[in-house]
Amino acid sequence: MWQLDSGTIITLITIMFAVAGIVLGSIVPALMEGKAVQKALEGMTRQPDAAGDLRTTLLISMALLESTAIYSLLVVLILIFGNPLLDRFFG
Amino acid sequence: MEAIAPQVVFYLFGLPITDTVVSTWVMMALLIIAAFLIKKYAPHAGEFIIEMINSIVSSVMPEDVRVIQFLPFLGTLALFLLLGNIFSIFPLMVSPTANINTTFALSALVFFAVHFYGIREKGLWGYIKDTATPIFVFPLEIISQLSRTLSLTIRLFGNVLSTDLVVAIIFSLIPFIVPLPLAALGMLTGVLQAYIFTVLASLYIASAIEIADVEKERRQMKQELKES
Repeated sequence: MWQLDSGTIITLITIMFAVAGIVLGSIVPALMEGKAVQKALEGMTRQPDAAGDLRTTLLISMALLESTAIYSLLVVLILIFGNPLLDRFFG
Repeated sequence: MEAIAPQVVFYLFGLPITDTVVSTWVMMALLIIAAFLIKKYAPHAGEFIIEMINSIVSSVMPEDVRVIQFLPFLGTLALFLLLGNIFSIFPLMVSPTANINTTFALSALVFFAVHFYGIREKGLWGYIKDTATPIFVFPLEIISQLSRTLSLTIRLFGNVLSTDLVVAIIFSLIPFIVPLPLAALGMLTGVLQAYIFTVLASLYIASAIEIADVEKERRQMKQELKES
């Protein structure tokens, strides 16, 4: 068995959890955005007159939903590129 | 952190100038030159652009508000973001909005503009009173003001940076044709984010200047009493 120093172990654990975080953090918002689009499309086909209003509201709410995925992306980027633990132990 | 932080290009009077700042200067020069050219050779195109921004802003404002008074601010924001989000497709340039300082400056502008327009519309005391009715929503209102500034910052920064990073990673793997669709997707995301930033800014301004129906009726009654 290889001998791993603590820097490698911290990096390995960080990468594993970063991947898990971005996977979970992008699946859930994508599913919910799909739900929102589905409902909006149903509404548009049922009432084509209201399509313009629905589109504006849909885009705004999609942006608000999308930002949760972006938050998890930001946390993952900080974990990978600016890991505070590595600086603390080896800085 | 070197991969996502902006690079320092040179020092001006001891201040570090990063590549996003240089891109912003190039972009400002392009916008100003384009404005002069459009004014001289194709004024109808300028009218069309202003009409488009006007329709975007007025789609979220209440009907009885004169939208034209917000257009200098919101239109500048829209044009800056529209060019800034897709600026990394030009060679040697990076998107100015891929730097978190730029996006924070923009959302701080929106934060102060909301209060400025609100106070100009209702007066200082009226604005505070309108915000704090009933009194227990006042702390919640402050928290929502701060959190939406933060979310505006991080949404724009994350979207632009993530699409740029994806293009850069694919480019380092296969530097031929394959990154092109992803760059196109990044341009689509950038234009959409510019639209969304503008619409959200006008929504916040609309919520700051709008007068509740009860308050409107009361003012009308006061006016009628004064006239009679």
